[in-house]
Amino acid sequence: MVFKLTESDQRPLSLGTAAARTLATTTKTPPQMREISPRWLLRVLPWVDVAGGVYRVNRRLTYAVGGGRVSFAGTGARVRVIPPSLTELPLLHGFEDGDVLDTLARLFEQREFAPGEAIVRAGRPADEILLIAHGKVTKLQEGGYGDRLVLGVLADGDHAGAESPDERGVWGFTLEAGTVVTVLALPWEEFRAVSGQSPPLRAQLERHRARLARPRNKWGEAAIRLASGHRGEPALPGTFADYDPGPREYELSVSQTVLRVHTRVADLYNDPMDQTEEQLKLTIQAVRESQERELINNREFGLLHNADPKQRIRPRTGPPGPDDLDELLCRRRKSRCFLAHPRAIAAFHRECSARGLYPDSAEIEGSRVTAWRGVPILPCDKIPISRMGTSSIIVMRTGEQDQGVVGLFQRGVPGEREPGLSVKFTGIDTRAVASYLVSAHYSAAVLVPDALGVLEDVEVART
Amino acid sequence: MTETTNTTSPENANGQLSLSTDAARQLSTTTKTPPQMQEITSRWLLRLLPWVQCSGGVFRVNRRLTYTLGDGRITFSTTGSAVRVIPAELTELGPLRGFDDMEVLEALAERFTQREVESGEEIVTEGDPVDQLVLIAHGRVGKVGHGAYGDEQSLGVLADGDFLGEEVLTNGGQHGYSARAKTATTVLVLSRRDFEQIADQSPALREHLAGWRAAGAHARNAYGEAAIDMSSGHTGEPVLPGTFVDYEQSPREYELSVAQTVLRVHTRVSDLYNQPMSQLDQQLRLTVEALRERQEDELINNREFGLLHNADFSQRIRTRSGPPTPDDLDDLLAVVWKEPAFFLAHPQAIAAFGRECSKRGVYPQSSEVNGNRVPAWRGVPIFPCNKIPVTSTRTTSFLLMRTGQENQGVVGLHQTGIPDEYQPSLSVRFMNINEKAVISYLVSAYYSAAVLVPDALGVLEDVELGRNG
Repeated sequence: MVFKLTESDQRPLSLGTAAARTLATTTKTPPQMREISPRWLLRVLPWVDVAGGVYRVNRRLTYAVGGGRVSFAGTGARVRVIPPSLTELPLLHGFEDGDVLDTLARLFEQREFAPGEAIVRAGRPADEILLIAHGKVTKLQEGGYGDRLVLGVLADGDHAGAESPDERGVWGFTLEAGTVVTVLALPWEEFRAVSGQSPPLRAQLERHRARLARPRNKWGEAAIRLASGHRGEPALPGTFADYDPGPREYELSVSQTVLRVHTRVADLYNDPMDQTEEQLKLTIQAVRESQERELINNREFGLLHNADPKQRIRPRTGPPGPDDLDELLCRRRKSRCFLAHPRAIAAFHRECSARGLYPDSAEIEGSRVTAWRGVPILPCDKIPISRMGTSSIIVMRTGEQDQGVVGLFQRGVPGEREPGLSVKFTGIDTRAVASYLVSAHYSAAVLVPDALGVLEDVEVART
Repeated sequence: MTETTNTTSPENANGQLSLSTDAARQLSTTTKTPPQMQEITSRWLLRLLPWVQCSGGVFRVNRRLTYTLGDGRITFSTTGSAVRVIPAELTELGPLRGFDDMEVLEALAERFTQREVESGEEIVTEGDPVDQLVLIAHGRVGKVGHGAYGDEQSLGVLADGDFLGEEVLTNGGQHGYSARAKTATTVLVLSRRDFEQIADQSPALREHLAGWRAAGAHARNAYGEAAIDMSSGHTGEPVLPGTFVDYEQSPREYELSVAQTVLRVHTRVSDLYNQPMSQLDQQLRLTVEALRERQEDELINNREFGLLHNADFSQRIRTRSGPPTPDDLDDLLAVVWKEPAFFLAHPQAIAAFGRECSKRGVYPQSSEVNGNRVPAWRGVPIFPCNKIPVTSTRTTSFLLMRTGQENQGVVGLHQTGIPDEYQPSLSVRFMNINEKAVISYLVSAYYSAAVLVPDALGVLEDVELGRNG
């Protein structure tokens, strides 16, 4: 039997622990910090040394066809399209006449659909440009044996029927509202009426037709002409691989701060831990956290913003299910890893459990994480969760050899302390405060658009 | 084990033909086991925790300065069916933290009215203005919100001691979610009007709330730590923010706790009966085993440093429905997502979890740890520990933790090199022999456990065992 020691109400007979502690040394931890996370993104990205500070990604010439997201402004129940964002429509790509865009934006007519209603039906004449302002729309087709085939999901900012200005055919697919859907529609009649009065718009349509007419492969790259399987002696096509004349250049971005330490603190209180060193360590951790946040969220090079519109897909229902991750995987070779917010991972796990699936786990750098089809799902709390409870899941191929995603840094920066991170002593001011400039230089580049995919609008808390 | 052999021979009329086993045993030596003991368990927690040498007897956990975000839990006193909130407990509400005017707190506690809510009833509705503070005395309440496409999403479960609508104390606003009772629930409600009346009469309370609002303005990161200012991605020559990393002024110190006992052995016993086993050694061995069991128990249940009590309130979640489902463990993994090392649960809780998996047709892989195969979930092993209490209403908890000092996880504290050390941080000291010739040994084990960063430890509470259906 072991008795629990309690403070007896007797007079103490010997020295108490409180008094004894005044003579003893306390074992101390270095300062702990909650903000530190595993920073998987920084660990899995292969880092490329950018000696000149600029990294140019040369690609084959691509006839860009737009395809981004149109944005909307809502006042009450009224939704309006923001005119400059209309240039995300393929046929208005690169169009700059603000007045004409304003006119077009005003002509859109708002419609509401209840879940299950058909927005367009296959076989009906396609006489409208449709913009989806809010809600989820399922794109369906009739299969070869009469069954329903799901082609994909459209949602906020997507458009339909705006590919080509000419051939007024029929819809090749059915659009069915999956939730309450708000659609803005512009009849081609009106569009043509506007173009009739605006020479710049007519010129734009001409340019668009010319772009469509150029020979290209299915990714929009200028075609390399080949002949194959011929008999006899046909003339072989002469060809060359054209390059993008204005390739994208990535400059190294920076996270910087000035760390201040009073010389009194730095000089005197150094046993057993160096005060300056501890301050530096924590600051560097914070800088690295900021680096990971920027690599995901920066509007210039952040992975969430840098993904190609064609590589952004939406889940079939709300939460991220196994089907959605499969859909994400089938769009690229050699997927290296998924990145998701821990709560999005939990939501995915719930979907698996609901289907009676138990995904394998994989070991990566000594940690066990869940893997889906052998691709590890790494947690990253820098991917935002919106107020409405939606988040994104990123998947990528990495490495220069595989034309994947690479991290950029520069080796040998003066005062380098870790790769890509430098600490420079900047002086002591008249108040005896020493300052250190802590800077991290970094960026990330996507070599080929299909190296990076994003599953958007996954709901992390749906029941 | 006994075996009976039937070897009766027909000629055996008046006696036996050969020596009986009873007689034979008089000449033979019995093979004996050392004394066995049911109390010994595998003590996984002691085996898995990394032990840190704590030389001065005190371990100080230094952390970055944190502006406290989280709230505690409120306790109630019950007389018959009437429930009252204990006035001092109201300081667990974030805005009232540190407020010590007992008269005002008592006046506030008086104004709460008790309400019984039926299962399925809505306590607050999404979008309504916050006009009452609701304390949940007993019952389970689900928080439900609407997602981006209008469908319902579950935002967590509240239960005994939780509260909602504390914005009443500060500035009001709208409810971001609906709260719907999942069971019959008893709540205590304080209306905004009552609160304002009391605040009008008490300048101290008004001043305290103003101070709380001002404290909320400190720059901090998502975890409530004082911010490290920095700028990023700029062009041109902006002025860089100067910064320093502030530390907590009075960091928590863990003192080594002790489990002790006096082992008594009569000298006659220890002198004479030592073949083949030393009596003293066997007595010591069993005592040490019992002490180690107690050590594990304390590491989990001690009110000062025990893991169940030391977990941060923001790191405690409740089960979605009651029994430990795969979804609940996934939620727990999302709470301790930075390199989780292992789960710890009562063996019955593990069985309940296994049942829930089977019900969904999920068969989790097991994983191998130190040559043992243990069940695992998402690659994180689940270890049994019978020290985690099971209450009289058959509820228990799951623990999930990250371990190690370099990972800022949970560590065990001990001190090796103490006088008369018998095992690490466990000493056996000879005390004396008294007039009755009894030798006394003082057996002491020193230990404690520290959570270096709050998010290293998560607890899944209210796990129901043995629920049918």
